[in-house]
Amino acid sequence: MHIPDGILPAAVNAAGYAAAAATTWHSLHQIERKQNPQEGIPKASLLTAAFFVASWIHIPIPPTSVHLVLNGLMGAVLGYYAFPAILVGLFFQAVMFQHGGLTTLGINAIVMGVPALLSHHIFRLRRVTGIKNRAWLAGLAFVSGAVAVGLSALGSLALIITTIPGGLSVEAEQASAYALAVAHLPLMVIEGAFTALVALFLQRVRPELLEG
Amino acid sequence: MHRKLILLVALVIALSLPMVASAHGVKIDYKMDLAIEIRASYDTGSPMAGAQVVVYVPGDPSTPWLTGVCDEEGRFSFEPDASRPGTWDVQVRLAGHGAMIHIPIGDQLAATGTTGFSTLQIVLMGACVVWGFVGTALFFLRRRS
Repeated sequence: MHIPDGILPAAVNAAGYAAAAATTWHSLHQIERKQNPQEGIPKASLLTAAFFVASWIHIPIPPTSVHLVLNGLMGAVLGYYAFPAILVGLFFQAVMFQHGGLTTLGINAIVMGVPALLSHHIFRLRRVTGIKNRAWLAGLAFVSGAVAVGLSALGSLALIITTIPGGLSVEAEQASAYALAVAHLPLMVIEGAFTALVALFLQRVRPELLEG
Repeated sequence: MHRKLILLVALVIALSLPMVASAHGVKIDYKMDLAIEIRASYDTGSPMAGAQVVVYVPGDPSTPWLTGVCDEEGRFSFEPDASRPGTWDVQVRLAGHGAMIHIPIGDQLAATGTTGFSTLQIVLMGACVVWGFVGTALFFLRRRS
């Protein structure tokens, strides 16, 4: 999921930075259109802390282990704040723990941030349809959380298997990458359930936080 | 006649002594082969079993000098060419996860080396960053109220 330095070719990294810059600009532009753009910052900042720490929570799924990503939760709760929040979180993960990398920061932000924005739109469907029961809210939150991490896993899988450099055994690397991607299926359920729980909890205690 | 025979036998014995001694002589040559063992693991501590390893010689970071695969414990050993001193780069990769370690060989030989931090360092750094995020949240909450 977090692609480290030295895995992708330079052209892919550069394209990732360009796409991340464009998406950040678009997100900031959307945030600016809000009545009070600063209002969402505390929420975004706290969820960035959660995102930053979540990658340390490893879930063993033999033969490998996966970690929480929480990008679906960020998208559902934060809306357009999610993309800059993920960018900042990834930056600190790369600088502090070499989890991901600085050259791949742009591409990682795209791989995790764009599905988060999609989750935001999925979660907004509850307002479009006007249905206001808890099962509908929980269902949409589940789909938001599951789809985001699933798409991120697919995105990084596609990047990894198409850019295997010479000198490596392509079959072995592809086989291990597929195994890792399959291990993200249970993670989709876990993240979906977690997002649904958080959404239900917030709706009970601070429903205004879900209106972003 | 008798004395001559004794002298002859003594001469033969004396001459053959060095030969006997050299048959027990020991010769030792030595040639140092430097072997490097790496061990690759995830930051959870679990080994990167089956990870692919690529070794690069100093000054040529694009052509693999040696490729191989880590064992079940994430270990891989190789013997670098001692005639090529400098920084050898070893890259380990498994399913898009990977890292590179730089091993100095030659004058600045280091017996051990590692990438990454200790658990205490990680916890401390993580706590500092989290506090930064919480502080940001508190700052903007205060301005709003």
